[in-house]
Amino acid sequence: MIAYVYRLATLLTCLFLLTSCWSSKELNEIAIATAIGIDKSDEGYLLTVQIINPGEIASDSPTNRTATTTYRSSGETLFEAFRRLTVQAPRKVYFSHVQIVVFGEEAAKSGIVQPLDFLSRDHEMRTDFLLVIAKDTLADQLLNILTPMDKISSNKIVSSFYMSEQNWAPTHTVKLDELMYKLSTDGNEAVLTGIFIKGNPELGKDSRSLEKTEPPTTVQINHIGVFKNDKLVGWFNEDESKGFNYFTDNVTSTIVNVPCSNSSTGIEVIRTITSLKASLENNTPHIDANVRVDGNVGDVECDIDITNPQTIRKFEAMVEKDIQSKMESAVSASQDKFNSDILGFGALIHREHPDQWRMLKNHWNEEFKNVEVDYTIHATIQRTGNITDSVQRKDGE
Amino acid sequence: MKRIRRLKETKKRNEKDSSTESTFKDISLDLQKNIENIKKMLGESSDLTIREIRSGTDETMLIAVIFIDGLADKVMVQESVIDPLMLDIRKTDISMNVIQNASFYEILKHFSLAACELKEIHRFQPLYEHLLSGDTIILIQDESKGFAIGSRNWKDRDVNEPTSQTVIRGPKDGFTETIRTNTALLRRKIKDPSLWIETNPIGHKTKTDVALVYLKGVVDENILQEVRERLKKIDTDSILESAYIEEYIQDNTYTPFPTIFNSERPDTIAAGILEGRVAIIVDGTPFVLLVPTLFVQFFQSSEDYYQRFDISVMVRLLRYISFFLALLTPSAYIAVTTFHQEMLPTSLLVSLAAQREGTPFPALIEALLMELTFEVLREAGIRMPRAVGSAISIVGALVLGQAAVEAGIVSSAMVIVVSITAISSFVMPSFNLAISLRVLRFPFMLLAATFGLFGIITGIIAMVLHLCSLRSFGVPYMSPMAPIIPKDQKDSILRAPLWKIRTRPSFISKNDKTRNATPPPKPESN
Repeated sequence: MIAYVYRLATLLTCLFLLTSCWSSKELNEIAIATAIGIDKSDEGYLLTVQIINPGEIASDSPTNRTATTTYRSSGETLFEAFRRLTVQAPRKVYFSHVQIVVFGEEAAKSGIVQPLDFLSRDHEMRTDFLLVIAKDTLADQLLNILTPMDKISSNKIVSSFYMSEQNWAPTHTVKLDELMYKLSTDGNEAVLTGIFIKGNPELGKDSRSLEKTEPPTTVQINHIGVFKNDKLVGWFNEDESKGFNYFTDNVTSTIVNVPCSNSSTGIEVIRTITSLKASLENNTPHIDANVRVDGNVGDVECDIDITNPQTIRKFEAMVEKDIQSKMESAVSASQDKFNSDILGFGALIHREHPDQWRMLKNHWNEEFKNVEVDYTIHATIQRTGNITDSVQRKDGE
Repeated sequence: MKRIRRLKETKKRNEKDSSTESTFKDISLDLQKNIENIKKMLGESSDLTIREIRSGTDETMLIAVIFIDGLADKVMVQESVIDPLMLDIRKTDISMNVIQNASFYEILKHFSLAACELKEIHRFQPLYEHLLSGDTIILIQDESKGFAIGSRNWKDRDVNEPTSQTVIRGPKDGFTETIRTNTALLRRKIKDPSLWIETNPIGHKTKTDVALVYLKGVVDENILQEVRERLKKIDTDSILESAYIEEYIQDNTYTPFPTIFNSERPDTIAAGILEGRVAIIVDGTPFVLLVPTLFVQFFQSSEDYYQRFDISVMVRLLRYISFFLALLTPSAYIAVTTFHQEMLPTSLLVSLAAQREGTPFPALIEALLMELTFEVLREAGIRMPRAVGSAISIVGALVLGQAAVEAGIVSSAMVIVVSITAISSFVMPSFNLAISLRVLRFPFMLLAATFGLFGIITGIIAMVLHLCSLRSFGVPYMSPMAPIIPKDQKDSILRAPLWKIRTRPSFISKNDKTRNATPPPKPESN
């Protein structure tokens, strides 16, 4: 019994002493990175990492220091650049809480596959960060802009991304797994939403810019960037971006303006369901897009009787037309302007008609241009808001 | 032969030498010698009262009335011993035939001594036992036997509310230190002739009465026999509290978990007896033991049965949750903040990191520091004199509160962790298990600091294995979970409505399994 206890005690002591707690790191020994910027440089990569100053975020007594610090390093490979950070950063940089990875536009144009390999291979990285493109600028510049409201600019970007995706539609959040999937499957091309600096980037780095009610420099989310293979080939405009999201069933809520008499009426889209069907007639691919839209009347700015069911029916027809035109423009832009199957028509055919896909696969680039799309859009307006007639109409009488 | 004689001599000498020599002797005819003997044995202790009386119709009979002041009821001694001997006996008409033929001893025994408990004693051994239990001894000149008259009545605490296990709804009576009161409390709850009580003294010096209480016909005879045998094996000087018995008879000493249940509440113990368990009442302690014990018992409060069943289910689940909170909160905090930062939401991580900015110690040291401080405060809170109570609570609030955080010694998250741990550990209805948690928390903290969550999980697995290996009087400690007994789940983690709990726990009682056949309540249909 005693021998047993001694043996167990020795074993336990070894267990505790010999592990040396190799993966343990105290919270005050790590630097939490929230954003990574990747740009092309002469050497290879220019890496920008935004790191939180926790003391500034949660302290009761605000100081003049900024809440985030950016460190910059370069290297032939991305991994090298990451490791080179240690010569600048005072602590071990901790990447599990990265929320956003920004590619500079140049880097995106020259291809994003190589940096993605490191991001998805490294065990410290999670896969739930957003990937975006710094439009017309370097990722490095973008991460240096200070933002009001949220002290951490990457937090601001992420939350405005989610808000705009839910309420305004022309943006699309892409996470690592979705991007990797799109890049690695046939008949599917990737998209990443763009983000750009509005105003003078130099002023935006200064914390004094935050002391103004209207900051001279802001970060804004813009339209969807279209990829061909792994290279950025161009940008959708707002309507095309919305059309893209209708196609990919990404619209949660948005506004559709329909003209009426002298002004227009805003219809709030509250729900859309898109289903796509592929068919092949004489080996010509054909897509049926079926969209169901539910909406509410949100803003009547013209003299019209909305209590009349006819009016509502007219609105519905116009909403259908509006959505169809946006979807058409998205299709034509992707077919003619970029020749990039971001709508995933190829993948759809692959899923539904695997046999025919084998034949189409090799010349899909040419074939894609000829894909015809049929639209069946059904809009329903459910409610007209808290008031019936507009005040304007009352005045007119 | 020589050897045997020598042995006998040694034995004799030993008996002579030992101070207990006279206890084995018979009572002699010489009253004065007997009195001397008693005085010598008790060292002429000041509470020994010896009253010598000349009694009998002709005042020739020498009688000694002996009792221990404080243990015996003086009023009773006066009324049922002294009065009859000194006054009433003179009024007795000795001309009656019966009395004329009888000896003085028999007259006393049959006619004079008006006491309900009366025993004849012939030897000194029982004399001392009776005397020291509070009985009054009467010795008579020229008689080699005496009387012991039941006059036990020492100062006794009233039956009042138990302090260690309080309820909002339910009986407010608690066991007291006196064994008779306690058995009476149980008898009041279970008015059935099959409630049997076996009493035996344990402890050479204390001679503490230990009573086994059980329901004959319901109790598992094997378990009962096992309890009797384990009690018989106890060979000690003293039993001062039921905890002594608990330590001597428990199955496994090397475990932090209590394998014997105790309660101050008669209703809890009565419920246990009715399930077929054996209660062990020890004189001089209000904590009654109950065996065999299951792990789930420590999560059950008697109030569970006095509230609606759905509410009890919720409250019981809450207790299980707080069990894990009390056990694991500090270790989980250590593991997550030093190994698994990726598990925290970013904003929480940032605010935790901000709090940890200024603190000098690693999370483990910080946690140990705070937990130890809390344990010290808790211990001090129990042990301190009432008068300094407010001082302790003020200092405690300062130490564990804002001051430690503001001084930059610990982070405020740690204060929250310690508070949650502390409050959760007070949720346990039985104090026993709460103490085990106090102890187990620290190894878990070490495991968390060395291996992270992996260590905690390993620790939990080891703990569960250990729990499953425990037994209490042959009954698996973790039943009805391990081994799983579906029928008994009705009253383990959950509590079914009373009319659904129809059987006694299957491992506890092998006989008379049905305890309830009430039909489910139904509204009267008109």
